[in-house]
Amino acid sequence: MMPLIVCAGVFGLGLYVVLTRREFIAILAGAELMLGAANVQLVAFGSYAGAPGAGIQALALMVLVVAAAEAAIGLAIVVTLSRRSGRSRTDDLQEVNG
Amino acid sequence: MTIDTLAFALAGILMLGGALSVVFTKDVMRMAIGLGVFLLGVAGMFLYYGHAFLATAQVFVYVGGVLVLMLFAVMVVHRSQGGRPLMEVRHDIGAGAIATGVAAMFVLSLRASVGGWLPEGGVAGTSVAEELLGNSIVVFELAGGLLLIGLVAVLVIVGSGERR
Repeated sequence: MMPLIVCAGVFGLGLYVVLTRREFIAILAGAELMLGAANVQLVAFGSYAGAPGAGIQALALMVLVVAAAEAAIGLAIVVTLSRRSGRSRTDDLQEVNG
Repeated sequence: MTIDTLAFALAGILMLGGALSVVFTKDVMRMAIGLGVFLLGVAGMFLYYGHAFLATAQVFVYVGGVLVLMLFAVMVVHRSQGGRPLMEVRHDIGAGAIATGVAAMFVLSLRASVGGWLPEGGVAGTSVAEELLGNSIVVFELAGGLLLIGLVAVLVIVGSGERR
């Protein structure tokens, strides 16, 4: 029960950051909070369900890889947008509205 | 209180403390440091469950890689906001209500699936290499391909910014 409470709390904090902050980097950090909480929850459920340790680690490693790729691409977009427009807040940029 | 309980409490405090500092600090550099504390807490939680390989990968990939990347991005991008309020209070309360609701929904919907109050202590995992290069070889290759695509995408995105 405690891992569930901790992970749900951290996921909620990450969601709060994504919903309230306007800096791109802060929004990415909030997404990382949510991904980290989900990964710990995956490991906790896997351990509780009696899944093999190597299988859990392999699955969690895949989540980690996807999260790292997401962070790298997100930061590249942030740096590129900042260099093009000199701004780093979501409400300063309207050109990606479509 | 056993060592297991203390280890779990320490990892949980690191996770929650880091996450809280990400939420409440207005300075982006301090926020990145808080994120690092959170990521170390996640690694501690992996260690608690007996997944030493995963904890090592977490520290190498996240604390050593993604966090450093994020700090560089903060240095390149961030400008002082001059004390400008981040958000209207009304929006803040709404977002807090949504986040609390989602977290409570997780706890309520999954509480029957997690057994006791504290998890059982983990045992050391078997060889992850055998799993990755055996049963999960396709997923492993896909993850490698995804990372390669991500690398190329980063180069294309940054390169397009350079040309302009």
